[in-house]
Amino acid sequence: MQVLAVMAQQQPAQPEPETSGGVLGVFEWLGTHFIGLFNESGEQFVGLVTGILPTLIVLLTFMYALTTFIGEQRVTRAVQWSARWWITRYTIMPIIAVLMLTNPMCYSFGRFLPERHKPAFYDSAVSFVHPVTTFFPYANAGELFVWLGIANGITQLGESTVPLALRYFLVGIVVIFIRGIVTEKLTAFMIKRTGRTEVFADFDREFEAARAGGVKA
Amino acid sequence: MSEIETTHTARAVFVRAGAGGWGPGLLLRAEGKRNKVLSVTGGGIHEVAARIAELTGAEPVDGFTTTVPDDEVVAAVINCGGTARIGVYPRKGIPTVDVYPGAPGGPLAKFITEELFVSAVGVEQVQPSTVEGSEEPAEQPAVPPRSERPSSREVAATVTGDGKFGQAFNSVTGVFVRFGSGVGSFVNTMLAAGRQTIELTLKTILPFMAYVSLLLGIVIYTGVAQWMGQVLSPIASNPIGLVAISLVVALPFLSPILGPGAAIAQVIGTLMGSQIAIGALPVQYALPTLFAINGQVGCDFVPVGLALGEAKPETVAVGTPAVLISRMITSPVAVLIAWAASFGL
Repeated sequence: MQVLAVMAQQQPAQPEPETSGGVLGVFEWLGTHFIGLFNESGEQFVGLVTGILPTLIVLLTFMYALTTFIGEQRVTRAVQWSARWWITRYTIMPIIAVLMLTNPMCYSFGRFLPERHKPAFYDSAVSFVHPVTTFFPYANAGELFVWLGIANGITQLGESTVPLALRYFLVGIVVIFIRGIVTEKLTAFMIKRTGRTEVFADFDREFEAARAGGVKA
Repeated sequence: MSEIETTHTARAVFVRAGAGGWGPGLLLRAEGKRNKVLSVTGGGIHEVAARIAELTGAEPVDGFTTTVPDDEVVAAVINCGGTARIGVYPRKGIPTVDVYPGAPGGPLAKFITEELFVSAVGVEQVQPSTVEGSEEPAEQPAVPPRSERPSSREVAATVTGDGKFGQAFNSVTGVFVRFGSGVGSFVNTMLAAGRQTIELTLKTILPFMAYVSLLLGIVIYTGVAQWMGQVLSPIASNPIGLVAISLVVALPFLSPILGPGAAIAQVIGTLMGSQIAIGALPVQYALPTLFAINGQVGCDFVPVGLALGEAKPETVAVGTPAVLISRMITSPVAVLIAWAASFGL
C-alpha cells in the first residue's frame, strides 16, 4: 500500500521519457504505464466526486424531502385529471409521474388509464427518465450518466451545460408526446391484428364502470 | 421426502446465493393459489425458474409474455445487475431470485432484504429443502406506508383533556403542539431525505463513478479516445449517421438486450462526452447524440413497467410489440427533432 502511494506521488500522469535499457527497462516501462493508467483514472474520479457530487447530494436531499412533503395523494388528482385528454396524457401525466414517483415506480400511474392506453403511457414515461435527470437528477439517480457523461465533456471544454440541458429537457417532452401518440396507434393496430377487439372493448367498459363508481364514492 | 408428505404440503426448496452473490438464501414453497414461478429474464423460461418450478411443483411462467397476479407468485426469477427490476418484486413482497450477482442498490434498495432477495443463483444453487416446517418467507415490508401510520398531530391531540379550562389550555398549547410537531416532522423528513440520498450515493452513484472513472482513465491514457474519435466523429457529426445509430439500437430484437440499467447508454454517453471534451465531436451534435444512443430506453422493462401499472395479460401481449415497433419510428424522429433544435448551441 505504501509502495503504491509512493509510486503514485512520484509518477505524474505523463509517461517518463528516460528509461534504462534491457529487461529492467521493460519492467520500468510497464510499471510507469501501469500506475499512470490508474493515476489518470483517479484524476477522473476526483473530478467527478468534487465536481458533480456535492451539488447532487444536496439537490437530491432537497427534492426527496419536497416529494415527501407534497405526498403521493396530492398529485393523484392531478394525474387523474391529466389522464383524460390525449395531449396531457403523454406530456403532463408522465412528467408528474416521473417527478413524483421517480423511476421505476412512476409506471404505476398507468393504473389510472384504460388498458388500451397503458403501453403508450409506459413508453412515454420511460422515455422521460433520462431528459429529467438534467434538472431533477433525483428522479432517476441510478442512471445519471446518459446525461452526465455528455455534460461532463462539455464542462471540460469550459462551456455551460445549461443551454444543452434546457433543450434536452424540452425536446424530451416533445419526444415523449410523439412516442405516446405513435405507440397508442400501434397498440390499437395490434389489438385489431390479434383479434382482441372484443376483449379490449370489455376492458373499456370495465374501466368506465369503475370510474363512474369511483366518482360516486 | 416421501410421497405422502409431498401431497400433504408442497415441497420446499432452498435457494442459496452463488459465488459473488448476496443474501443468506430463500426458502420457497408453492401453496394453494400461490403456485407460479415468474421468469422475468427475457427469451423464455430461465433454467433456474424451471428448476425451482420443478422442485416445488409450481408452474413456470414467462413474465415477458404474460402477467400473473402478485398473490399467485412463489418467486420471481430475474436477470438484473442494474437498478430497476432488482427492487420491483421485493417491493411487492415477492421473493426474488437474481441470476446475476446483484446486491441491494438503486432507488428501491430498502426493499431488497435478506428475507426477499438472493443473487448469483445458478441451477446448482437450487436444492430441495432439508428443513422441515420452516416458516414462509416474510411477505410484507415491516413498516407500514406513511399514510397508515398515525400522524404526530393526532397523537399530540389526545394528550390534553376537555372542559372549559381544557379548551382554553388546548387553544394555547394547540398552537405550540402544532408548531412543535410541525418542526419535528419537518426535521425528520429532511433527515430521512438526507439518509436516503447518502444511501443512494454510496450504493449506486459512487460505484458508478468509480467504474466510469476507470473506463475513462483507460480510454484517455491509452489513446483509445483519440482513435475512437477518428472512427466516431464522421458518424456522430452528421444527422444521417446519428439517425442510423438510433435505428440500430431501436431494432426490436436488439433493444431489449441493450436496455438493462441503461448500462450501455451510460457507457456510450460517457465515451461520447470524452469525444466532446477532446473536440472530436462538435458540441452542436450533443443533443441529437443524446437521443440517438438512447432509442432503446426501457425496452427491456416493458412487461414489468406495464405490470406496475396493473395491466392485464392481454395488454402486455399487444403492448410489448407495440412499444418495440414504435421505437423504429420515433427514435429517428427524435434524433431529427433534436438536430433541428440544436441550431444556435
